[in-house]
Amino acid sequence: MDFSTALSFSLPIGLALAAIGSGLGLGRAVGSAMEAMGRQPEAAGKIQVGMIIGAALIEALTIYSLVGFFILSGKIGAH
Amino acid sequence: MNIWNFLHFFAASQPAAEHAGGTPELPHFIEFLHIHVGGPFVNFLFEYKDVIFGFMVLIFMCIVSMRVYSKRSIKTPKHLQNLLELIVEGFQSFFSSILGEKWGRHYTPFLGTLFLYILLMNWFGLIPFGKSATANWATTAPLAVLVFLYVQYTGMRRLGPLKYLDHLMGEPRSVITWVLVPLNLPIHIIGELAKPLSLSLRLFGNITGEDVLLAAFTGLGVMVLAFIGSPVGLPLQLPFYFLALLTSTIQALVFTLLSTVYFSMMLPHEEHEEH
Repeated sequence: MDFSTALSFSLPIGLALAAIGSGLGLGRAVGSAMEAMGRQPEAAGKIQVGMIIGAALIEALTIYSLVGFFILSGKIGAH
Repeated sequence: MNIWNFLHFFAASQPAAEHAGGTPELPHFIEFLHIHVGGPFVNFLFEYKDVIFGFMVLIFMCIVSMRVYSKRSIKTPKHLQNLLELIVEGFQSFFSSILGEKWGRHYTPFLGTLFLYILLMNWFGLIPFGKSATANWATTAPLAVLVFLYVQYTGMRRLGPLKYLDHLMGEPRSVITWVLVPLNLPIHIIGELAKPLSLSLRLFGNITGEDVLLAAFTGLGVMVLAFIGSPVGLPLQLPFYFLALLTSTIQALVFTLLSTVYFSMMLPHEEHEEH
């Protein structure tokens, strides 16, 4: 197997794994935020802001994997 | 030059054309000039295309604020001035809720401009024939480095160099924390250095991702109708414009919010809590 095949095989799988992890993490974070907002509707604004920041930080990990995908995808088929 | 030639002029530039990078991108007006006109001046423009798009956003912001300032009236503000005052007051209350009254007021100009600059640069890519300058790491990295340098300078100036070093060492007070300093110091320094890296890569990755998404679906739309030789395609990318609007706004907000949090960690907060 040459490196083009290896890259074409592993890059999408790596990205999908990162997306799974980030999906699980985001589900927990947003779920807790929803519960907290349900308990205390007055604090909903602050909780929402915190939830957005947390979600962006968790999402960033998948984006790092996507950036690696962009960098390496140009090397498929080039020698 | 009839309508068919006109449409084929655009289609010939292949909206989802894959150039040497491999990832499809929607064409912008500088790319059109580059393909159809050429010449040394257009080559120069093409090399510095992100700088040019960033500059266009800058000039737009400067023109709007200078016009509003020159026609301002304190007692009876009119339409655009009202809108801008609403935005600035919203920023001030938002940053004051994180930094405190005095520092929120002091840092609102910098952080508010940062937010608007990044937001407008992100939105420029959604205008037809425009490109987000933030879809290039060379644009987001200087912004992140600027925030990093400003935060460190703020820490050293407001805390004093001794307290700043104390903060980096994890505030050793007892014997155990003093012994852990050789562990704490490198971890804190690496953490501080990781901040601009993560800020810039997060913004770059998100905006490039949404641009590539739009281009991929545009190409799909063109391919769907290609069997009748039509120069236009189905607008399959329209739903993703709303997603792109949402993620552009959220990413600008997250960049600014994280910068605000980094400032709040470096400003003196132990003395009096005036919430």
